[in-house]
Amino acid sequence: MTKPRVAFFDFACCEGCQLQVANMGETLLDVLQAIDVVEFREVMSEKSDDYDVAIVEGSITTPHAVERIKEIRRKASVLIAYGSCATIGGVNGMKNNFNLDDIRGSVYGEQARYFETIPTRAIHQVVLVDYFVNGCPVYIPEFVKVLKSALSGIPYRVPDHAVCVECKLNENECMYDKGITCLGPVTKAGCNSWCVNNGNICYGCRGMVTNPAVDGQKDILEKHKIPLAWVENKMNMYNKACEPDREARLNVEKR
Amino acid sequence: MPDISEYVFLDKNKLDFFVSKLNTRQRVVAPVRKGVKSYAFAEVPSAKDISWKYIPTILPPKKYFMPQYETIQKFDKSKRTWETVVSSEPIVILGVHTCDLAGIEFLNAMMSSAPCDAHYRNRKANITLIGIECLDYCDGSASCAVMKNELPHGGYDLFMTEMKQGFISHVGSDRGRNIASDSRIFTPAKPEHIRELEELRARKKDIFKPEINVSHEELKNLFSQSFESNMWREEMEKRCVSCGNCTNVCPTCYCFDLRDELDLSLTTGERQRVWDSCQNETFAKVASGENFRKKKGLRQRHRYMRKFYYPVEKHGLYGCTGCGRCTRTCMAKISLKETINKLAEEQQNSKEPVLNQ
Ligand code: SF4
Ligand code: SF4
Ligand code: SF4
Ligand code: SF4
Ligand code: SF4
Repeated sequence: MTKPRVAFFDFACCEGCQLQVANMGETLLDVLQAIDVVEFREVMSEKSDDYDVAIVEGSITTPHAVERIKEIRRKASVLIAYGSCATIGGVNGMKNNFNLDDIRGSVYGEQARYFETIPTRAIHQVVLVDYFVNGCPVYIPEFVKVLKSALSGIPYRVPDHAVCVECKLNENECMYDKGITCLGPVTKAGCNSWCVNNGNICYGCRGMVTNPAVDGQKDILEKHKIPLAWVENKMNMYNKACEPDREARLNVEKR
Repeated sequence: MPDISEYVFLDKNKLDFFVSKLNTRQRVVAPVRKGVKSYAFAEVPSAKDISWKYIPTILPPKKYFMPQYETIQKFDKSKRTWETVVSSEPIVILGVHTCDLAGIEFLNAMMSSAPCDAHYRNRKANITLIGIECLDYCDGSASCAVMKNELPHGGYDLFMTEMKQGFISHVGSDRGRNIASDSRIFTPAKPEHIRELEELRARKKDIFKPEINVSHEELKNLFSQSFESNMWREEMEKRCVSCGNCTNVCPTCYCFDLRDELDLSLTTGERQRVWDSCQNETFAKVASGENFRKKKGLRQRHRYMRKFYYPVEKHGLYGCTGCGRCTRTCMAKISLKETINKLAEEQQNSKEPVLNQ
């Protein structure tokens, strides 16, 4: 059996997810047994236009990027979006808090008019995405799980329940018991509560669950005397580009 | 008067030796401190690692009977074979409170009613349970007295009660008898030990009082009549954030999900069972996309009914031990005791006689 040809691409991002994949250690050897990597800028110079699976990092932020991702979609039979930038817009979404011309001006100064720009979009807001690996950076065991699903043609569903679920299964003491605010209750699981296991809070990097309990959350914040604006700020950090998705979903529900 | 021949005595200065002796034959797990104000069952190399006074651990000892993630089958696609994996290892769980012993008894009943769960049964067969008595409340979240679990009712191999000089220990099984027969550690209980135990229990009667305004016997009726209460569609719907904590820490919850994990060869793999929760958004979602319990408040109703109504109807057992974990862990500070009291008040109000008839 010939191995599937896999190409890695990046758009607006920090390339941290590529690094994560390149650094996966021994598992990488097993992964390389299963696939044939034909393009991966972080680790090789070869390029290829002939691939079956495209693994895409980063958000879409320019008209040029829109064209490029459409081209990738045309060539790939399977498209995997990985990392927060690609799956939910991630930190790039903060751009959407500002006027586009102001942003352009502040980044490119006098040359701004040569640089066309658009609001930040996650990949699925531009082309069809077959698989999502959320996270900033991606959690390697989940990345491998999604890759296996893609290679064997079965769906992978990003868990739509709170990070708290995995956190409890790992029997961590809750951050709130230590007097620290954590975004676990509103964030999609799937990372095995990676950060909390290592003594950090959950920053909400995987994006909000589809049905967050707004009233309940406000209650919790009030009880812990945490200003709502502070949490909104934190949620904005990763979730801003997802607003169109949420509105679309609400419209469907209203109908 | 208790039968003195069923009791042995463990001197306090033999505790270390006792734990190290247990450790020579199998893994010993007991409550240890975890974080700022929590505890967890974990391996203890010696007696000094154990927190004898503790509030119920984050996860109940259920995790040894039915681990959070458990491989239960292996498969090979190319050979079209499935193989059941039943694994277990000898463990002593030391320092189990009476509420958690009751939780294990409940699970035993559920897992052995047909179809019997072989994975659970095999682990259970290798587990030795040594209980410890609470002489006072762990904290205000507990409701073990109304659930009648503040005193031991069996389900252990050995049950220890701390007294001035040491631990009086009740032998609850042949395995317990075997442990207690080591005369370097245990001595036969004396009549004064039994007297001291009876005094302790008498004192407990003054401390442990029903924690809610509903009697043990009335709880089931209260819930059978509260199905349409506003509690679920309004209060719970607003307050609960569906974090799933209340069920994941509950000693009597046993729902699980099955996940098939392929190896990178894409031909072999294993089937895992992972704890699941009725509070999770997608728990009742089916292939068509329909979600049978989309509302958070109705998911909470389901949880409560699974503790205080359904299992009583079906098995004659309450599914709540009164351990208080759900209250302690709730992100939204929803308290089990308050919920029950409010439901009772509601029922009371609706029953007020209508005047001017
Ligand atoms: S530490 Fe964070 S993720 Fe874990 S249970 Fe608490 S809020 Fe949830
Ligand atoms: S714990 Fe939170 S911040 Fe950390 S990887 Fe998971 S979702 Fe991201
Ligand atoms: S419902 Fe709450 S108090 Fe009752 S057994 Fe479960 S966790 Fe303990
Ligand atoms: S709930 Fe009761 S039996 Fe359980 S630890 Fe607290 S006081 Fe002990
Ligand atoms: S712990 Fe509290 S907030 Fe979380 S699911 Fe249970 S009732 Fe809801």
